[in-house]
Amino acid sequence: MDFTYSAENLRFRDELRQWLRDNLPQGWGVSVHEPKDEDERARFRLDWERQLFDGGWSGLDWPKQYGGRGATLIEQAIFAEEMARAGAPEGLNIIGRNLVGPTLMRHGTVAQRQRYLPKILSTKEVWCQGFSEPNAGSDLAAIGCRADRQDDHFIVNGQKVWTSFAQYSQWCILLVRTDRTLPKHQGISFLLVDMQSPGVTVRPLKQISGESEFNETFFEDVRVPAENIVGELNGGWKIAQTTLAAERGPGDAQARQIRFKQELDRLIATAAKLKRGSAAAIEDPVLRQKIAKSIVEIEIMRLSCLRSLSKLLKGEAPGPAASMLKLYWSHAAQGLYETALETLGPLAPLTDGDALAQADGRFQLGFLQSRAFTIYSGSSEIQRNIIAERMLGLPK
Amino acid sequence: MDFDFSDQQYLFRETFKTFLEEKHDLKKHAALLEGDGFDADLWQGLADLGLFSMLVPEKYGGLGLSFVDMALVFEELGKVLIGSPLAETIAATDMIVRHGSAAQQASLLPLLAAGKLRIAIAIIEPESGFGEQNIQTRATSTGNGWRLNGHKIMVPHAKGADLIMVAARIGSTQTLGLMLVDAQRAGQARHEHATLDPACRFYALSFDNVTVHAEAVLGGASPHPANLARLMDVSSAVAALQLTGIASKVLDISVAYAAQRIQFGKPIGSFQAIKHKCADMAVAIDASRSAAYYCAWAIAEDAPDRAKAVSIAKSFCGDTARLVCNEGIQIHGGMGFTWELGIHWYLRRAKVLEFSHGDAAFHRERVMAATLAELDEQE
Repeated sequence: MDFTYSAENLRFRDELRQWLRDNLPQGWGVSVHEPKDEDERARFRLDWERQLFDGGWSGLDWPKQYGGRGATLIEQAIFAEEMARAGAPEGLNIIGRNLVGPTLMRHGTVAQRQRYLPKILSTKEVWCQGFSEPNAGSDLAAIGCRADRQDDHFIVNGQKVWTSFAQYSQWCILLVRTDRTLPKHQGISFLLVDMQSPGVTVRPLKQISGESEFNETFFEDVRVPAENIVGELNGGWKIAQTTLAAERGPGDAQARQIRFKQELDRLIATAAKLKRGSAAAIEDPVLRQKIAKSIVEIEIMRLSCLRSLSKLLKGEAPGPAASMLKLYWSHAAQGLYETALETLGPLAPLTDGDALAQADGRFQLGFLQSRAFTIYSGSSEIQRNIIAERMLGLPK
Repeated sequence: MDFDFSDQQYLFRETFKTFLEEKHDLKKHAALLEGDGFDADLWQGLADLGLFSMLVPEKYGGLGLSFVDMALVFEELGKVLIGSPLAETIAATDMIVRHGSAAQQASLLPLLAAGKLRIAIAIIEPESGFGEQNIQTRATSTGNGWRLNGHKIMVPHAKGADLIMVAARIGSTQTLGLMLVDAQRAGQARHEHATLDPACRFYALSFDNVTVHAEAVLGGASPHPANLARLMDVSSAVAALQLTGIASKVLDISVAYAAQRIQFGKPIGSFQAIKHKCADMAVAIDASRSAAYYCAWAIAEDAPDRAKAVSIAKSFCGDTARLVCNEGIQIHGGMGFTWELGIHWYLRRAKVLEFSHGDAAFHRERVMAATLAELDEQE
């Protein structure tokens, strides 16, 4: 066990700090913020991601052979800390980098890796994930979107839903049914689909938060070259498990932890300024207890990521343990937003645009967004089943 | 960076685990309620395995290991609801290794390493609360020594201890520090508390003009408040690790019970109402481990964020043990409520540890204060 920073680590940190100073817009986080318009914000995040790539900071944890930096665990931790500290923006190609990358590295052919990985890293191509369907949510293996082989193509027909970033994506990882005669888990294949193909329609869905990050996506006689299958025909369920483990795993959680840490810092700064009666909110012992509880929980999220990453780096296979991390952080983060609103007291209902709204309505938006945490990438109920059955060995 | 234990550390755990499972069970635990509650046989066995020598430097006959090496061992000791002033003796060992004078180290560490010395720790007073600010116990100078006056409560296993490590205001400056008081010295009275966990053997102590020799202050001549702060952090860390062990044991027992208890023609563990409780318990325990293991490192390294790391761990591990023990009993249904089954011993110990060395609210306030100080520093 070791958490000390070597001289080399400190050089890495200083290099990153300097880069962030040079590359974040002047006045970032003080007078300059992310655009509020969703499309503008998407472009802003895309630009930021490309800037990160140009600076050599994209795919920090990716192996060098795939153009990544092959960063050590401590470098990943420093990166997470510094991005949080600088309040750096999120990226847009999260699915590409965190989900598609690891899936192709493990299951893709050499040709697929060479074709797709570099453009994920450089964010030349953005990816979305076509897994859930209106009738296949928690019961993901019940998908009905079908792909029928016709000569050297698959013909895809069906509908996906909750496809985040589909409107900005060039590519989609798509789970399709390729054999309806087999048991449901055994007739699924994993395809890489060009979103510009004729027959693909993306329709934004308005979310609880008023935003439209995700979409419904329709496939009508979409032709997908046969070489775009990952793994074997009808072998897609196993590959989807790799994607899901990455989605629930410590790499993803570490990036999210940065956001939550930034929110906490923002909350504390808000509570220090906001008067509630004769004293600032931060002086209220009840609120201090609640804020401290969130500090504890979000810090433990960071530590648990490091613990999981340490095990993965030693060669332990990713598995159901990822469900523990996801279940933990999703509830901890929901708690953080509840606490944030409680801190605001009578001003809690005020959203962005109101003159008295605190932190530009960031906590109200975050609160609404946080309702999704315990639903996506496997609802809490599904995670609990996985933990109970596959880790604790309780009977089905 | 590496947030995992070494193969050797895992091996160490296995050694203690095997020994403890063989030597200690709930039947034996209940039997210890009779008599003085001290399991001399177990103590000697642990000493033979090197438990008490782990933190002691090699030149005093120890193994020269660190607090990180002890983390998994404390978790195992928690699982068997270890009694005796064992945690206290090891916490006191850490203090003597770090802050003892050369004379104190030379005289005490070889005995501690061999398991021949038992030390009880006396910090809390009837009206002190958890913090050190309101400690009233006083040591006044007699010219060639000290005279100690005051009342302490919640001192585990004070009877049978060779030394009491007492937190007191020392000298004319009333500086908070620690004194090592011979338990046999005249002027001390003790009576046993009635508590939720009788196996802990808590005592109230009073010091009535107890004369203590000049070198009894930890570190020798002058007291230092930082010593008391470290002792409180070390004690909290030990409690957090034990709480994690208790919670993990209760989860194991509950899962095993749920897998074999048949109702409605099925094991109750196949019902999601039970499964999901178990999953939530497992998640809380895993998070507790992250917090407790990191704080063990912070203690070992005396890291700048030591106090915050300790408070994160103590508050979270206490909350987790509360959740897991309560749910564990619920999963056991009517059986869980019986004296006979014995799961209540885990509940009792967890409850006592939850309120030892600062409860969750006390530690959360410390987290808040430390965080605000960090943010000030950044500006």
